[in-house]
Amino acid sequence: MAHSPSLNYFTNLIRLLRGDCLLSPLVVSYCVTTHCNLNCCYCEDFGARRNEQQPAPLALSEARQLLGIIRTATDSLILTGGEPLLYPHIEELLACARSEVGFRHISMISNGLLLARHPAVLDQLDRLIISLDSADPEAWDQTLQAGSGTARQIHENIIAAASQQKAHGFRVVAHCVVTPQTLTQARSVLEFCLEHDIVFSFSPQSVNNWPHFDLLTANTYRTFINYIVELKLAGAPILASLAYLDMMLKFEPYACYPLLAPRILPDGTLSYPCRPIERTGDAHGGREINLLHAKSWQAALKQATTYYGVPPVRCNSCYQQCYVEPSLMQSRPLALLRELVSFAPSRYASIHTYAPG
Amino acid sequence: MSDQADCNVIIIGAGVAGLTAALHLAERGLHPLVLEADPERAGGRLKGGPPAQFEHAGQTWQFSGEHGIHAIWSPYRNLQAMLARHRIRPVLVPAQEEAWFHGEGRRVRCSATGSVLRGSWVPAPFHYLGLFARPRFWAMLNVMDFFSMSRVLLGLLASLSIDPFVEDRALPGYTLAEYCNKWTPKLVALFAGLARNFVPATLDQIPAAGFIAFLRFYTLRRRDAWAFCYLPDDGNTAIVAPMVSTLQSLGGELRLDATVTRLEQLPTGWRITWNETGAEQSAQASHIILATDAPAAEALLRASPSTAEQAAPLRLPIGMPTAIFRMWFDCPPHASKGCHNAEAGIFSGDFALDNFFWLHRIYNEYIKWSRATGGSAIESHIYGPPELLDQPDATLLAIAIADIKRAWPELEGHLIHSTISRNQATHTLPDVGRPTEHLAINTPWPELFCCGDWVRDRNPALFMERACVTGIKAANSVLAECGLKVWPLLPHPDPEPLAALIERGMRSTRLALRRRVRGE
Repeated sequence: MAHSPSLNYFTNLIRLLRGDCLLSPLVVSYCVTTHCNLNCCYCEDFGARRNEQQPAPLALSEARQLLGIIRTATDSLILTGGEPLLYPHIEELLACARSEVGFRHISMISNGLLLARHPAVLDQLDRLIISLDSADPEAWDQTLQAGSGTARQIHENIIAAASQQKAHGFRVVAHCVVTPQTLTQARSVLEFCLEHDIVFSFSPQSVNNWPHFDLLTANTYRTFINYIVELKLAGAPILASLAYLDMMLKFEPYACYPLLAPRILPDGTLSYPCRPIERTGDAHGGREINLLHAKSWQAALKQATTYYGVPPVRCNSCYQQCYVEPSLMQSRPLALLRELVSFAPSRYASIHTYAPG
Repeated sequence: MSDQADCNVIIIGAGVAGLTAALHLAERGLHPLVLEADPERAGGRLKGGPPAQFEHAGQTWQFSGEHGIHAIWSPYRNLQAMLARHRIRPVLVPAQEEAWFHGEGRRVRCSATGSVLRGSWVPAPFHYLGLFARPRFWAMLNVMDFFSMSRVLLGLLASLSIDPFVEDRALPGYTLAEYCNKWTPKLVALFAGLARNFVPATLDQIPAAGFIAFLRFYTLRRRDAWAFCYLPDDGNTAIVAPMVSTLQSLGGELRLDATVTRLEQLPTGWRITWNETGAEQSAQASHIILATDAPAAEALLRASPSTAEQAAPLRLPIGMPTAIFRMWFDCPPHASKGCHNAEAGIFSGDFALDNFFWLHRIYNEYIKWSRATGGSAIESHIYGPPELLDQPDATLLAIAIADIKRAWPELEGHLIHSTISRNQATHTLPDVGRPTEHLAINTPWPELFCCGDWVRDRNPALFMERACVTGIKAANSVLAECGLKVWPLLPHPDPEPLAALIERGMRSTRLALRRRVRGE
């Protein structure tokens, strides 16, 4: 029970009522490696073209130690990258996270290209989140920029993984980054998901931590979101709350609490208080705190707040999608209640999984 | 309609409006020339100023100077979208708390207010009631204030019945003084203090149309409209310099120290004459966008033979002068003053100062200074009255220092350095004038367009967002005449459901009353 997302959720509610913004994480994302084997054109972080600039990932022993420290904050973990399947010890790390460290909810965000080489990871996962931006392999190859046939291979891997969901007890989530260019294909991704019993999630492309201008002004984008809402209300497996969908439609200000879904970089540093601020490297945030040097999550957070100050209250500085869903669910308990009442709780929709990644 | 090849555009003024117009034209392949009178910096009210420098703890410290605009508000959607589209939107610093300080002689009280307005659980337009959940806010008021509160609420609700900017309603002769009629002195002081931070004038100078527009845009219709962020650095570093750099990379040109002296209408287009670093120059343009502040626009149009006659009756919104103070202390203020460590706020009552910003909690260079020295730094503004601003610098600075020490007595004896700078009378007093007196984007003169936060336009935005919106619209007017694709504008957020319902009801009531009065 200790540090479960549900417990953290309720303690966070009390903290918010008291005006305390040092919230406990609902889920922690650990980038096991920043290396990637694709070159997605919209990716502002990684990609094969940047691999040489990226640091080496941690050794397995250090990664285990890191997981132990994360576990002092929550029992819900997302492994991501880069491409996490490029981490040399991914199977061992997942097994360790599940059995030794005791994470109860484990998700992995992957591009899916290397899935066939790592069948053992499926047994350890609750959710396998795979980026899928188009149901048309030829068109998608242009986005991936990793050679002809890459997209077709990923499609086959996704279908294969989806067919193993019941056997291995996990859910496949296809995450679609909607760009002005892929907007017309996003609907086909949605239909692909429905056909193969895959959960659909999406986020609009952001530029400079702000929604892409051409999406903000496109009627087709609004039509697409309304279509997703219709499907969700009809019971389709959409990994997005109605509040999130409404936010992605109107892009209104919302109170962002990035510490609900903090991000750990491959060397163990905490991206504080959130990715956009950390990346500026200015006085408001950064990467000074390494979890490997801390005894616990709370100790690391104390160091970070001492160095950079407390995290912002009700931040509305940007639209970093990773933080939208958990922030909305945490700050709008009635919206969460509506989700849980209206849409039967399932393995893809619960407090800790409202983080599309 | 002109061909693109025939479209050469000169933009007069390199503030937010002018740079916005220039960027939108340059993105469509035009090569606008922007003429800026300031000899050193573009940016208008976002431009920097002379740096402050002093010795402390055996080290020389230098800080950028600036005009004193810090906030980007959540309704500034077009401005933020434009910056993001060019990848020059800075990572902003979210506002945490604002405080209200009220002074009556030696008695100074304060209450945190900002987070309540944007984070209230009560929907708009009743979110102000959240203030009463703060005991310190109760303590700010007396019994008469509570009795007067219904008048305040009625005034706020009445403001929902009309949108002066969108409906183009001037409300002539109606000022904030009438708006606050029969309110208690302290409530008037609160509103006057709040208003002066946006519309810097005395109560009887502030047009009710401008004040109502301010209320509606920044707070009345949505709780989150009061959400805002600070620029992480001075305006020039954070916004203006990246905009200029982007403009130049797109083929636009900026010339500083170029004061336009005359506009001459030609059979097709205009001849613009300007003084550039002391030498007179001129050029022809197919289109002009006049993007200066209102006083400069009025002066130029009256001085130009082609426009003087029609410009004679113009009464553009006036600009107000301001004084900016900065003070550095060798220790921070106490955090436990009931203001929840507010990084900014307003003063009312017998304070001469109008507002404050603790810069060591906002700006990067000040945070670094604070970390290195344990010190703090505050910026404060005085918006008037004129007889106060007429005081010599030394007197005004002494008044400001005394006010700061009244608010934070623990800082007595800890002042390291202080500066005063003055801004010219360019801060717009928002208003809706008569159509014959108040220029819109499309002017009486062909191929001459206006933009800026003073421009008449049926858009609810104010200040930087209004400068941006009118800049885009002026660019669109040129683009349309050049046969190029115009830019879409982002709508501002709708009111919250309850506010929308009340707004509809109040508007219907107002229109019905008007019809009855007119006997229709």
